[in-house]
Amino acid sequence: MMPGTYRAVRLDALTATQNADGGWGYFAGKRSWLEPTVYGLLALHGQMNQNHWKRGWDLVRSWQLPDGSWRPNEQVAEPHWSTALAVTLHCARQQYDAQFQRGVEWLLDARGEESTNLSRFLGIFVTNNIGHDRKFAGWPWLPGTTSWIEPTSHALVALKRAAPQISSSELRRRVTLAEGMILRRRCVDGGWNYGSRAALGVDLPSYPETTALALLGLQSCGEADLSQDLVRAQQLWMQCNARLGRAWLAISLRNFGVVLPEDDREPAKNDILATALEALSSPNGGHALLRPEARV
Amino acid sequence: MSGISRRGFHAAAATGLLTGCSSKPPAGPAPYTGRAAVSVLKAAAYSEDLTRLILTGLKQAGLPDVEGKRVLLKPNLVEFDNASAINTHPRVVISAFEAFRSLGALVTIGEGPGHRRDTFGLTEEAGYWQQLRTLDDHFVDLNRDDVKSIGPFLGRPNFFFPETLLAADLIVSLPKMKTHHWAGATLSMKNFFGLVPGSVYGWPKNLLHYHGIANSIVALNRRFRNTFAIVDAITGMEGNGPIQGQAKAMGALIFGRDLLAVDATCCRMMGLDPAKIEYLQSAADLGATAAGQIDQRGENPSALRTDFKLIQEFQYLRLS
Repeated sequence: MMPGTYRAVRLDALTATQNADGGWGYFAGKRSWLEPTVYGLLALHGQMNQNHWKRGWDLVRSWQLPDGSWRPNEQVAEPHWSTALAVTLHCARQQYDAQFQRGVEWLLDARGEESTNLSRFLGIFVTNNIGHDRKFAGWPWLPGTTSWIEPTSHALVALKRAAPQISSSELRRRVTLAEGMILRRRCVDGGWNYGSRAALGVDLPSYPETTALALLGLQSCGEADLSQDLVRAQQLWMQCNARLGRAWLAISLRNFGVVLPEDDREPAKNDILATALEALSSPNGGHALLRPEARV
Repeated sequence: MSGISRRGFHAAAATGLLTGCSSKPPAGPAPYTGRAAVSVLKAAAYSEDLTRLILTGLKQAGLPDVEGKRVLLKPNLVEFDNASAINTHPRVVISAFEAFRSLGALVTIGEGPGHRRDTFGLTEEAGYWQQLRTLDDHFVDLNRDDVKSIGPFLGRPNFFFPETLLAADLIVSLPKMKTHHWAGATLSMKNFFGLVPGSVYGWPKNLLHYHGIANSIVALNRRFRNTFAIVDAITGMEGNGPIQGQAKAMGALIFGRDLLAVDATCCRMMGLDPAKIEYLQSAADLGATAAGQIDQRGENPSALRTDFKLIQEFQYLRLS
């Protein structure tokens, strides 16, 4: 594959599979969801002034709920973890308006159930049997449940990108706590899984995709020495053939300045999320949009 | 570790006692009094002609006519470790695929793993693509399928499930026979956790843990009744399952329309007392669990009993 072709064929595939409503499904021909739509738009960031991009953007904007959160698709009218992705997309587009503000406020209000005041109070009396420190609040997949690595990482990326636009000590506090949460849930092998270091006293292994996302969330975390984690991430990248994990690892490693050879595999047959992430992960593919200091 | 913290594992990280208490099932309706057929067939290795064996098992266990019906095969894909026996073996899945296709069914394989985002990566690592080159055309990632509400479920006013699942005429649970460090055993009923879409509820599907593992298993099996089970017990997992246990040779496939009867039979083969498995007792109105209610076909399961090692906390489950 010629240099640059890897990204170009994926961008072509994305434009060819955009739904009539402007969004993308997880798979070609399926209904639009927020997650593949945001990643599709980020991958196509160079086309922000074109109509197809604006249609996708308009769809994302239309999916914000009155409480400031975003719904994951047209069918599910409930606050969703992918709110963080919508906030990040606003930052990538430099659209810092009322919708953006409400999204940030919703994120700052959301937290894992283990870190609510009631749970922390009960935690004084109950043994925390899986070793999670409740004061290090992260974000859950959906309100009312426990925080995990992936939604926490997405929220960190969003808030760090939003930080220059938001004068809020709460934002800085939540970022610090969430970084602490991620660092404390690091697996013994140096990476991250969904968010549990061990079960029944037995160490659990890390995964490619969650290691990549945890590192994305930890970008610009001054207190952490991530050198060993980056070594682990590179090992995982070399071993990983799965598309999502490999693409997320490349995005993360490139954002940390690690030089990787460009992949040369063909695009997935119809996996839109993988296609968008692979486009973003290429050397000039827009992975920097997920950096705290990113500029369009 | 207490029974409360075991049942409320993930939620306990958040709410400790609150979750443990909420997971205690209420007194259930009257036990099922009907009968069920379960077929047990010997299969020493994955290299055997499993398609033929599966066709025999389907017939013995009373599979209804599936010609022209949409059949969803639901294997158990959790993680991949080539030194272990975590997932339903691809030879079992692909042989079941071929068997149902030979009966005229419209077959889809679907799974929504609870830990891993990359379902296709997992199917590749687990060897599914080597067994079926056209898997792309027949496999649905239930975590990322389009979804539809079924209305109130698990305490939520609207609960969403994959459309592929809701459109299926028959859901065939294809689990691995394994011990489970929170539920005691994971078999055809627990396998339904993979029907819940991660794109809505996350990885892990923490909502199910908040509701209580046993309660969620029962609720899912109460909701989805158009089922059949084929349990991969050629090699199972004992000890600290469902991920970190050790491979255990059992050399059998187990078949049935009544998932409770199948799981109860599997428990007896594993040396577990089904009367002590919480979710089987909570679902006792849904199917046959007593040995006297089950018409055993094929092999005598008692003769195949091979006690699976149990972690300390579950020693009380041992069948006397």
